Formats: sequence, C-alpha cells, structure tokens
Amino acid sequence: MKEMDIIINTGTSIIQAFYEKKGSTLKKEYMQATAVAFMDPIDMKKLSLNPCDKIEVTSKWGQVTLFVDKSHDAPHEGMIFIPKGPWANIIISPETYCCNVPTFKGVPAKIRKTENNVLLVADLMRKTYKKYAKNDDFRESLGEKPIFKKME
Amino acid sequence: MTEKPITDYDEEIKNCSCSYCGNNCDDITYLLKDKKIVGVRHACRLGASKIINDEDQRLLNPMIRNTEGILEETTWTIALDKTAELLSKSTRPILYGWGETSIEAIKQGINLAEITGSVMDNQSTICHGASIQAFQNVGHPVMTLGEVKNRADVIIYMGTNPMDDHPRHLSRYTAFPEGFFRRNGREDRTIITIDPKYTNTAKVSDEWIKFNINEDYTFLNALRSILKGNELKDEEVAGVSREKIYELIEIMKNAEYGALFFGLGLTQTLAKQRNIDILIQLVEDLNQYSKWSMLPMRGFFNVNGFNIAMTSETGYPYGVDFARGYPRYMVGETTTIDLLNRREPDFFMAISADPGVQFPGYSIQHLTNIPTVQIDTHWGPYTELSDIVLPSTRVGVETEGTAYRMDSIPIYMKKVIDKQENCHSDEWILSEIYRRILQIKETNGDN
Repeated sequence: MKEMDIIINTGTSIIQAFYEKKGSTLKKEYMQATAVAFMDPIDMKKLSLNPCDKIEVTSKWGQVTLFVDKSHDAPHEGMIFIPKGPWANIIISPETYCCNVPTFKGVPAKIRKTENNVLLVADLMRKTYKKYAKNDDFRESLGEKPIFKKME
Repeated sequence: MTEKPITDYDEEIKNCSCSYCGNNCDDITYLLKDKKIVGVRHACRLGASKIINDEDQRLLNPMIRNTEGILEETTWTIALDKTAELLSKSTRPILYGWGETSIEAIKQGINLAEITGSVMDNQSTICHGASIQAFQNVGHPVMTLGEVKNRADVIIYMGTNPMDDHPRHLSRYTAFPEGFFRRNGREDRTIITIDPKYTNTAKVSDEWIKFNINEDYTFLNALRSILKGNELKDEEVAGVSREKIYELIEIMKNAEYGALFFGLGLTQTLAKQRNIDILIQLVEDLNQYSKWSMLPMRGFFNVNGFNIAMTSETGYPYGVDFARGYPRYMVGETTTIDLLNRREPDFFMAISADPGVQFPGYSIQHLTNIPTVQIDTHWGPYTELSDIVLPSTRVGVETEGTAYRMDSIPIYMKKVIDKQENCHSDEWILSEIYRRILQIKETNGDN
C-alpha cells in the first residue's frame, strides 16, 4: 500500500504548546514538537512507517511534509493527530460554512511515505506563502535565528 | 531526569497571576535575582514556559521591511507614523488578536477601531465563537470554578483535553482539590471524558467514552432523546453502544452537582455552534433531575475578557465591524476568517496573537497581498509575513493589567519586573497610534 485515506484531527499537545509559549518558534525544537503526525501503530504498519520517518499529507487545501510518530492515544485507526501550528494550518479546511470557525478537525486527506525534508518555520512560511521571496530558489535555509538588519 | 530546586534567588514575589490559559492561576510565586526571573513556583509546565521565556527570539526594537524584503530596525516614531498612515489609508482594516493582552489595552483598541472604521475581532472567532453564538441562541447555565471545586461530584469533559491545554484545571479547580462538600477530593468525584481520542485527560478519568469524529451532534441528540423518555432502538449511536449511553444518562441523572466542560472538540467540527446548542439544551433537561451547569474551556488568559469588554462597550462579543461608524456584528460576514477567505481586508494588524499559528493556510494567503502589522513580544511565524513589527511587553510580568478568567471572574495581574528598554505596553502603542490617526484626520479635515 503506497497511499492511504485518513482523517486529520488537530489540537493542542502539551509539548507543542510549551515551545510555542516559550516563544522559540523558529527553533528546531518547535518543529520537532509540532510538525508531527501521531498515527495509530496499525496504520503505520500498513504503510511500513517507523517513528521519525516522514509522510506527505495532501488534503484539498494543500500539501505538507511531517514526521511520523506512534500515537500515545491509540487505537484510532484511520485518523492522524497533528498539533496545531503552521504545518497543520496548510492542510486544514478554511471552510467556515458562515459560522466563523474554520474546520480544524475531521478533514479528509491522503498520506504517503516521502523522503522530503520537514521545513523549519521561517522556511515553511517563505515557501508556502512567498510574501517576500524574490525568486523560487528555496535551497538555502533561513535557519533557526531571526533574520533582520540592526540599526546602525 | 531530575532537576535541583532553585535556591539562587534574592527575592520572592507571591500571588502573581499566570498569563497563559483561561485558568488564570493567581497563586504563582516568581523567584527573582537581580530583578530578573530565575524561577517560578506553582505554575504548570506551560505557564512556566511563558514566564521564563526564550529571550533569543524576543522582539526588542520596532522594525519595518525594507525594499529587499528584510526587516530593518527603526525608531518608534517612524514605525508608529508608518502604521498610522497605512491604517488611516485603508478601507477595510482588521484589528485581530487581544486574547493575550489586558482589558486596558482592549479599551484603547476599541477607540482605535471606532475612529478608523475597522473590524475588531479576537481569537474566539476561531475557537469558542461558536459557543458564544449558542449562548445567544439558547442561553447559558453558568457556574464559577469555585462552585465546581466545592460542590461537583460528577464532572464531564467533552471534546477537550485540559491535561494538555489547561494543565492545572483538574488539580486546582475540578477533580483533585478538597471542596467544602467534597472533603476527599478526587475520591468523592466521578470524572468522565467524552472524546474521539484517548487523551491525557481520559487517562486520569474514571471513564472514557469514545464517539466518532464529526458525529457529536447525533450523539448529543441521542442523550437528549433518552432523557426525554424515548427509547433508543439502534444498537449504537456515533460509535457508542446503547448500554454505554444508558449508563451515562444514569450517572448524569443521579449526580448531586454536575459540571460539564466542553472544548474545541465540539466547536471546530462540522456541526459547529449547533453542537453547543444541543449541549446547552441537554444541560437544561438534566436540571429536571439534578443541578447541572456548564462552562467552555477558554484558551488564552483574556480571550473571555475581550468578549466581555466588547459586549459591554458595543453590545456584541466579537467580530465587531465599525465600518459604518456604529458597531455591527454578523457571523460569517464580519468575522476575520470569512473576511480573509473573501479576500476583503486591505490592512491587518495582529495584537498579541499569531495568525501564522492560528489561521488556515488558505486564509493566511491573503495576508501576503496586504500591509500587515504585528504587535507582539516574540518572533513567530506571523513575523515572517509582517511589514511592520512593534515590540510589546508581557502582561502579568512586565505590565500590569486586568484579565477575565474562563468563568468571567476578573483578575488583576501584577507587574513583577521592568520591561525591556525599547519595548512598550500594548496600551501605550495603541494609544500612540490613536493619537497619530487623530492628527492625520485633523490635517485632512476629516473631523
């Protein structure tokens, strides 16, 4: 099996919230805590995945690469849990159905194993939204530290 | 891994308030050395992480994007002038955030929104907005956390995971503390978690009831139907067996004082506010048998305060549009995500909030086409999209202020340490922008 249908559930995880509130969102520690899909071990077996492998999640709204980890809350076959954050945002549904709340939970998607890299926050924002990217060359990473010009 | 207790401090400041979640724990002790926080007592892991923050990524000076797209440090005068100019020129501005700032700053924000004809909205638009709509539809059987602590013998958590979101909720207010009528604490109480996932809260509960994701409305309807004396013919509803549902109803009916907490597990699925409508009606029906009340689990420490301040000032809880000079409110029309999805706004300012963390990607896409301003303490995903960055101070640590706890109890938050040299409080920043806008209006003869 190469590809699998899945339902995305998002929410707070205590480790993700810890790094977010600490204010170190550019760092690798935040990425490792947030860009993770917690999967049911049975589903992982079906796709021959091990913890720390990477998957590509594709929904109607976008595509993102995430790490995989064994869910502490299994069994929940057919569902992945992603801590809320910039990575989960790309694939969840912005549909509010005129009720102001986007659909953060229960979004259908497809997953498959990948060798792509999981991006750090700064790179993810630049590559996904391209606000200040002058060209499409994203090979060089922006790194874990804030980039700005100091006043002279 | 064991960590040694902190002994190297020269000052202890007691009874401080935590500025992380809706619990607003007000028993925190800060340990200071040379006027810097070196330790925290009583706070949870998340509260402590916010108090002892990451200074590496702190915003210290105002910044503006230069022509190369790189943020460049500048003076407060230039940054504030530029912000005021962009805001006064825009026709559909949004002032979003407010969940992590004080009521005093929110008051300045309302003034600013009024004279600029902005939409003023906060985080409840993506979390408990649906609950507030339901309260308007059906009413709200309120309670305070003190009541739960002293009286509750049955506590239900539905679609929420306080062990991860509000870590001290169970230990300080609900499950574990000794109450006036619950002398033995946890032993005197029954805790039930109803959630599609076996969460950390489910692990400390007496019982976990699993229902299918997106089938919450059906499940709540079944509960209500049985409570009204009907018989359930199906073997299972929303993945929950008939026996389990009857068992749950019996526990609920026989409670002496029942407290129901619900979270984003209900408001962010497909049925949205209808889930809460039916949940309120369920609690209403339960009151024919026993005393029951309910409370939404609010996320940020002052997200409830914004709803209260807005309601008392304008009559509406969130998503208030001042475009016509008087407040208007229409769910799906004047709320941030809907406005962004329709590509309507032409200016976006986030105050103590990070849309990069909170908004769906499709909505964020519009922020790349319009001027964006950030007022915050730390570098975050939204800084990567901001044209102007204004560094602010941390409420409850560097600035004093008022916040409302999740059960609408106002709590005063102390100032403990001095602010960073070139940072200013949200209240100051907003009042400065307000003053500048007034000046622009006067020069243009708009007044």
